[in-house]
Amino acid sequence: MSKFKMSRRMAILSAASLMSLATAAQDIKLGFNGDLSASPSAQSGAAGVLGIQAAIEDINAAGGINGRKLTLVIRDDQSQPPKSIQNMSDLIDNEKVVAVFGPTNSGNAMAWKHIPNQKKVVSMGMIGGGTDITKGTGGDNYMFRVSMVDREQVAGIMAYAHKAGYKKVGLLTETTGYGAGGLKDMQEIGKLHGIDVSVSEKFAVADTDMTSQLNKMKAAGVDAVAVWAQGTPTGQLMRSMEKINYFPPVLSSWAADNITFYDAAGKSLAEKPIFMRTMVDPTTPKQKELFERTKSKLAAPSAFPFVVHGYDAVQLIAASIRQAGGTDGEKMRAALEDLKDPVAGAMKTYNKPFSKTQHEALTASDFAFVKWNAGKLVQVSDPVIKSLTAADFKR
Amino acid sequence: MDIALLQALLSGAAVGSTYALVALGFSVTFTTTKTLNFSHGEFVSAGSFIGMSVLFLALGKPITSTSFGGEITGNGAQLFALLAALGVMGILGWLLYLLGVRPFSRKPGMSWVMSTLGFGVILQSIGLAIWGPKPVVVPGPVGDEVVRLWGIGIRPQEILMLVVSVSIMVLFDHVMRKTMVGKAMRAVAQNPSVASLMGINVNAMMIGAFVVSSALAGLSGFMLAPIAQASLFMGLAVGLKGFSAAMVGGLNNARGCVLGGFVLGILESLVNLWSAQWREVAIFALVIVVLAVRPTGLFGTKMVEKV
Repeated sequence: MSKFKMSRRMAILSAASLMSLATAAQDIKLGFNGDLSASPSAQSGAAGVLGIQAAIEDINAAGGINGRKLTLVIRDDQSQPPKSIQNMSDLIDNEKVVAVFGPTNSGNAMAWKHIPNQKKVVSMGMIGGGTDITKGTGGDNYMFRVSMVDREQVAGIMAYAHKAGYKKVGLLTETTGYGAGGLKDMQEIGKLHGIDVSVSEKFAVADTDMTSQLNKMKAAGVDAVAVWAQGTPTGQLMRSMEKINYFPPVLSSWAADNITFYDAAGKSLAEKPIFMRTMVDPTTPKQKELFERTKSKLAAPSAFPFVVHGYDAVQLIAASIRQAGGTDGEKMRAALEDLKDPVAGAMKTYNKPFSKTQHEALTASDFAFVKWNAGKLVQVSDPVIKSLTAADFKR
Repeated sequence: MDIALLQALLSGAAVGSTYALVALGFSVTFTTTKTLNFSHGEFVSAGSFIGMSVLFLALGKPITSTSFGGEITGNGAQLFALLAALGVMGILGWLLYLLGVRPFSRKPGMSWVMSTLGFGVILQSIGLAIWGPKPVVVPGPVGDEVVRLWGIGIRPQEILMLVVSVSIMVLFDHVMRKTMVGKAMRAVAQNPSVASLMGINVNAMMIGAFVVSSALAGLSGFMLAPIAQASLFMGLAVGLKGFSAAMVGGLNNARGCVLGGFVLGILESLVNLWSAQWREVAIFALVIVVLAVRPTGLFGTKMVEKV
């Protein structure tokens, strides 16, 4: 290559990069940081990204925000906390994104939640459900969420137990951080309803026989059991119920919506527990349209709620930029905490979803009770659920 | 007797029979070579995935599938899966001995500990590359309908596990005590050079021990998959409990290993009946107490020579 050709190529290259810099200054960059490839929940992450992209398409097609287009920078954290922390700094410091969506796994959000707070960049969770993710740590809190929340699920199932007239609910939890968190929430909220939650048994994630624990529940005469565990052990628990032919009503964490639960329990036993989800099937025209747009790229139809969460997360961020009149992190956070206009999302229309202390866009009254039926998730609608009002959800 | 207690005893024995089978696998190599395969647990999970792959192929599904979707397999396929698990794992055991144990055994240092552990990590990584982390529910050869006896329930696969582990114990016990092969194995363990001078093919004995031990891991995995699901992460728990069973019962005694397995399984189940969160504490406290009082296990024979 001659020197002349080389320098000409350099000139073209630098012109091109200058041009892209110029457009980048116009565009508003958003980031996604979450597992897209490594853990079983990666398919939830991928579905979330589909929703984010769909919302960005819609907003850009309508002319962007004040004439500025939205773009998305995607970083896979492979479910590893160190990688997730690194991605967070990369997105905020190098890519200069104005908001970050994700992560897929709650543990990773706990690993980096100090970063958005220090850098004053809004993080909008739309997958992981860990209760403490959005909890403030003193000072301004930049962690928001549009997704399932563990403690809100507990609020839901305990409200159900109370309305159904269960006086004594046995708690069955796995011996992990997830199980321990659920146990604490269930004990606290159960007591708020005056339910006797003193009978509590534990099992390990890899256990194959929980008949001893179940026999203790039976001996204690509980009216129902509430289970907080991952999909596979919850399935093994149902199999142990079959062994001793003991089938109390079962209320469970949403881990039961995972295919690992369905596989482990088998078709008929999987139909026993009821649990909560943000939604089941697309019902509104907006949801149906979104489903048609994304279904060919979805790993499983059951991951569709994350498309909706991702879509709404972008709409809420866009609303905060409009209200703040720019992409300053502090102003966006303040705008989110006091959104003046309703925001039309795919899940619902958000009317002042957040406040200084409330950073969850979705709470128990937005969720649906579901169960497995003939291999599909279906919405449950019994007299107890119909009678539930927002005031019943104590937390 | 109380139904709940009976259920706990039977369930415990069913879980314990898994530990027993794994403990036997540890015992075989120890009684011959004085070494152990520290990734025996990963070999168990490898065995379950090999059996599972054969069943997938028999149903005309790709080998990399992750669900049977409730499909039932025929007896022929199950038998073939069992043979494949035994055969492939046997070959892996031979490789493990050649590459991971022989170069280091009877040499100062503990290199074989590291090399056997490493072998397990390699197997697990290959498995993850092929099937990913999702556990797979595998259909068993004897169905899944709960069998009820006097109000207590057990699954057919668990009964099969009980029968198989006791049968294997009886067989091993007979071989070790009553046959020339058993004598030769013990001779090799005692003093390989003298055994060699007596006309025993020491190398063949040692290879044989690793092949049999790994084939046993294959059998454990094949039997365990319908109960606990085939999972690439079950190795650690299964291996640790199996090893504990061998320590409690006696690493150099087949009867001891199996009884140790049953003792641990039933103890777990009884502790569950009391307070499940103290289970692991109770198990490992028992292991420590047994090791302190009887270092060779409840049924183990004393070894005179200690390195």
